[in-house]
Amino acid sequence: MTVQRAAGEVGGAMPTTEFAAATDAVVSNIEQVIEGKTATVRLALAVLLAEGHLLIEDVPGVGKTKLAKALARTIDCSVRRIQFTPDLLPSDVTGVSVYNQETRDFEFKPGAVFANIVVGDEINRASPKTQSALLECMEERQVTVDGVTYQLQTPFMVVATQNPIEMEGTYPLPEAQRDRFTARIAMGYPDSTAELAMLDVHGAEDPLYDLRPVCDAAGVRNMIATVRSVHVADALKQYAVSLVNATRESPELRLGASPRATLQLLRTARAVAALEGRDYVLPDDLQALAVPVLAHRIIPTAEAQLSRRTTDLIISELVHRLPLPSDRQRSPYDTRQEREQRGNPYDRRR
Amino acid sequence: MNQRRHVTLVAAAATLLATAPMSTIFASWTWLIDCILAIAVVCGAALLLRSVRAPVWAQVLGMVVGVCLIATLLFGEHAYLGLIPSGRTLQHFADLVSAAGTDIRDQAVPVPDRDGLLFLTTVGIGGVAVLVDLFAVGLRQPALAGMPMLPLYSIPVIVHQDSVSVVPFVIGSIGYLWLLASDNVDRVRRFGRRFTGDGRDVDLWEPSPLAAAGRRLGVVGVALAILLPLAIPGMTSGLLDRVGGGGSGIGTGGGNGNGSGSVDLFARLSGSLNQGNPFTMIKVSTNDPDPYYLRFGVADQLTPAGFRNRVSSGGDPAVDNNFPDPTVTLPGVTQSTYNSHVQFVKFDMGLLPLYPDVTRTSQIDRAWRYDAAGQLIYSSSNRVTTADMKSYDFEYVHTRYSPDALRQAPPLEPDNPVTNLSAVPSQPFVKALVDKLTNGKINEYDEVRALFDYFSLKNHFVYELSTKTGSSGSDIENFLNNRAGYCEQYAAALAWMVRQAGFPARVAFGFTLGTGSNGGTYTLTNKNLHAWTEVYFPGYGWVPFDATPTSGLSGPVSTTWAPDPNRPATSTSTAPGQVPDVGASGGAGAGDRANDPAQGRDPGGAAIQSQSRLSDWAFGGLGVLLVLLVLPAATRTALRRRRRPRYATQRSPHPEVTGGQSAPVMRVLPGPEADRARRDAHAAWDELLDTLLDYRVGVDDAETPRLTVDRLVAEFGLTGETADAVELLGRAEEHARYARGPLREPGLGVALRALRRAIARRVPGRTRLVAALFPPSVLHRWRAGLIDSFAGAVAWTGRVREGMVSSLRPRRARAQATRS
Repeated sequence: MTVQRAAGEVGGAMPTTEFAAATDAVVSNIEQVIEGKTATVRLALAVLLAEGHLLIEDVPGVGKTKLAKALARTIDCSVRRIQFTPDLLPSDVTGVSVYNQETRDFEFKPGAVFANIVVGDEINRASPKTQSALLECMEERQVTVDGVTYQLQTPFMVVATQNPIEMEGTYPLPEAQRDRFTARIAMGYPDSTAELAMLDVHGAEDPLYDLRPVCDAAGVRNMIATVRSVHVADALKQYAVSLVNATRESPELRLGASPRATLQLLRTARAVAALEGRDYVLPDDLQALAVPVLAHRIIPTAEAQLSRRTTDLIISELVHRLPLPSDRQRSPYDTRQEREQRGNPYDRRR
Repeated sequence: MNQRRHVTLVAAAATLLATAPMSTIFASWTWLIDCILAIAVVCGAALLLRSVRAPVWAQVLGMVVGVCLIATLLFGEHAYLGLIPSGRTLQHFADLVSAAGTDIRDQAVPVPDRDGLLFLTTVGIGGVAVLVDLFAVGLRQPALAGMPMLPLYSIPVIVHQDSVSVVPFVIGSIGYLWLLASDNVDRVRRFGRRFTGDGRDVDLWEPSPLAAAGRRLGVVGVALAILLPLAIPGMTSGLLDRVGGGGSGIGTGGGNGNGSGSVDLFARLSGSLNQGNPFTMIKVSTNDPDPYYLRFGVADQLTPAGFRNRVSSGGDPAVDNNFPDPTVTLPGVTQSTYNSHVQFVKFDMGLLPLYPDVTRTSQIDRAWRYDAAGQLIYSSSNRVTTADMKSYDFEYVHTRYSPDALRQAPPLEPDNPVTNLSAVPSQPFVKALVDKLTNGKINEYDEVRALFDYFSLKNHFVYELSTKTGSSGSDIENFLNNRAGYCEQYAAALAWMVRQAGFPARVAFGFTLGTGSNGGTYTLTNKNLHAWTEVYFPGYGWVPFDATPTSGLSGPVSTTWAPDPNRPATSTSTAPGQVPDVGASGGAGAGDRANDPAQGRDPGGAAIQSQSRLSDWAFGGLGVLLVLLVLPAATRTALRRRRRPRYATQRSPHPEVTGGQSAPVMRVLPGPEADRARRDAHAAWDELLDTLLDYRVGVDDAETPRLTVDRLVAEFGLTGETADAVELLGRAEEHARYARGPLREPGLGVALRALRRAIARRVPGRTRLVAALFPPSVLHRWRAGLIDSFAGAVAWTGRVREGMVSSLRPRRARAQATRS
């Protein structure tokens, strides 16, 4: 059973100034906790506004969980946290029907996913069995237990963290799961000034406890509506398709990005454009998002892995190679063959 | 470097050998000395510049300068230090070139040493040497060196009407093969260590054993190239068949082997001429500075096939000197008396060669009689021919007419006996042609001139040693349609047409002027045999008109009344080729000009005119070159101008708010105003990209406008207004491409100019120059267009071929159809 999500669910669009003020408030609020990572914070917000899910991947101790929690706290909405452990069961995630002796019936006890923001910490420590419980809710925003489908609220966002370095006792995310995350971002080490500031702020007590929400679920819904109204030129849709196509045809990649990736790329680009104060998407947005949105979905070939070609590198090279479509005719400077220009830099016939 | 020096020397030697065919053109060997000097200078310049490792263009420049210096040294006048040409030297060179042009027209091979021709040859061969050196050493493409050598080979082939000896060509080809071989030996040497077949190491400077095979192949190739044509029957006539029996008439017709010395006096309207080896027939000396053709026969019996010779009878023995008085006392006619001595070498006829009009003879047999009507001396006895005579002397009156005088000629009286020489067979084609040509002409001379001028290059009449066949069934119509033939056809056709116009005309046989006018003695060979037309003007007598194109004749003479129709109308001096200084040619020539106001222009005027024509050509060529050079820049400017009105126009004073300042849900602003703004932004952006391309700043197809602008600002360190201007350009293009509505801001033109100035300040001067003169953006676009059209053509032919194949093989087409 599927339920069509009506546009009315996300509320009305906001004026630009209001939108800018709201988003700036969210970003600055989070920055009280995470210093010197404006771009990362904005990207996380963009994923929220693009109705996507976020995978934060980095080494331990750089503030992955803190970012997730700060985002959750900043928005005044229901937040649930799941600590993924090897013995976690799918029913812990989705919920379970238990026998109520009073009513003499099974009663559904909602799991942790029944919230606006679900923080899944160390997601790769749970077994694939448990992880697969997330598949339905992440994509379809619903949970089906015992044949009954429960709708989730809007906004709904899964913020998961994982540690790419330590492999003992972890289960790599299955491809289906990774594909459901809109973007994978890396925190990165803070620069020295930011780290100094962190020492001052975090020295005494955790500022997270002082964090006050600046926005509620309804506000987020309005912001999402605003993002949905951002204009995308036909040429840019073409560009997004070419970009994703290029990953499918790249000889270095065993698996390219899915059509879902195209969709989410464009959605995120809309959110980024709105955050930048534009009502139209630029190719720059797509180029900037290509690595976070596409890199975690693709699988490089064995040769590429052996030659230490990371997926980030492959994607950014594709972006630099792919000619930009414009809504005009072919550029007169382009002396390359027409065939190449159609967006396939890896034509096998060459 | 050592190897290149070697190839340089070989290239010079090969050029020298390639000049061998020129030996068939010149009578003496002076040209060879000049050419050796020129080639040596070119070679020396090349060696010198290569030893200092000058770039290729500098080498070429040096060699060209060398050619100029040697030309100035050999031919220059008024040069500084004898080497550096001044303006007057160049003037002199122009004179030489125009003189060479005249010589090429007038002189027959072999030509004597004349400054103009030597200048042309030296400079031409110097140029060939430069090109050969450039191709063989500079560009290392010795095979291409054959291209500049080719003209040297083709000149003798063009100049000689009949066959040329193969030997000079063999010498030339040996030079070319030598060049190819030495370059390839050099190439092989660069491979590294070489071995013989049995494993022995070959020393670096030792020729490879395999080179012997290459040489053998070369020799076999040359031998085949020479021998193969000999084996094919159709091609042997020119090379081997020295027998003159194939032709008839003028030439050594009727003879066997090397010519009998007798001439068939029948001016055919079709046929072919095979003159065979030249041999001297007559030597004639005269004190006449500019004699006309020596004449011995007349054909006045017109048949449809041509003019048959006159059968002379009666008359007094010539030795009695009872000749009619040739004196004409009319204005515009000058007459001078000269003496002439004829020496027979190999001439066997019953007719005596004479200059008209003879007034006195001596040392001849009584059997020679004078035919007054034909103006010839013929033998009344079969036993008496010129073969028995060694020589004889005669005195003659050379009559010259001015066109104006001939225009005064009265109409022919009906009872004049020459009237029957205007009878002509009925030919509607000829009649129509003659009527058309003489339409509007009021006197005999003008009509004859109109017919005479008709036989010009302009009307595509050319000299060929054989006529072409035609389908009309009449020889004269065939000739007038095909317009190719030799003297007999021209003489007979003109005579026929003059008769058709109603005037008496006949064909005269004789010799052209011949060569070697040293001391007034001319050597006449079978190549000088000639036929021309004589037209009767009442009161003036028979006046010669030679309609044959001078290119086919050795020693043609043109006259004031019948100037060569292929040369400028002002050039009127008698035989300018033979008499360079007309002013010194004696009283006759001077009087001639004085009598004729129309001819009163001095030869200097003619020279100036022909020179100005030459400079016209030079200016025309320069102009075309200039246009070609200016074309890219002009295209760029035109493009910029075409774009300018778009982005320079002022928009409405209140720029419409777009983008971030307003509600995110924007009205889409359709309509012509928005479209125009969008087009303006695109035009400005195109102009920006073109500017970047012109100044060799990279343009990347994968780069967004915003990134391009950022890169420009960073790369050129733009600040302040310029940076703002560039950002405005980027934003405008961004909006035009991706936003709902375009940005409407004036100042795109200003921004572009600011950017161009900023970039121009920071690129090297050479890049700026190239951007101004040959904008790479235009050149790229042309190249892309060319490639596109070529690819389109290839694709089209592929489709056509596929279509043809599938239509020819229905089974395959059906298979393809089912598969798809």
